[in-house]
Amino acid sequence: MSDKDKVWPTGLTEAESEEIHRHLIQGTQIFGMIAAFAHLLAYIYSPWLH
Amino acid sequence: MIYGKIWCVVKPSVGVPIIIGAVAVASFSVHLALTLNTTWVKKFLNGSAAQVSSIQTESPQVASLTLQEAGRK
Repeated sequence: MSDKDKVWPTGLTEAESEEIHRHLIQGTQIFGMIAAFAHLLAYIYSPWLH
Repeated sequence: MIYGKIWCVVKPSVGVPIIIGAVAVASFSVHLALTLNTTWVKKFLNGSAAQVSSIQTESPQVASLTLQEAGRK
């Protein structure tokens, strides 16, 4: 049985670790969307892949 | 969330900069390789300046030819 209040070697609990991970995933998704949009603009307005 | 407990065993102050740094290095190296191994990137970034410079390189030749012709006459 997992103890939710257990402090792991990094000094975080499981809930805190999950929270950090949620923010990291969200940041990755936002970065990915901006990057995809930038590549779309590059494809449209530059000779890239033409 | 999958792998959500990773930060229980990896310090975020170590793991997060490694992830962001890996993405930055990979992205930079891909774009650098693209710039170094293709011809169109420099041409595209120069814009219309590339055409202007080609016209400028032609004009001295035309001028010298005109001078040569004038010298013959």
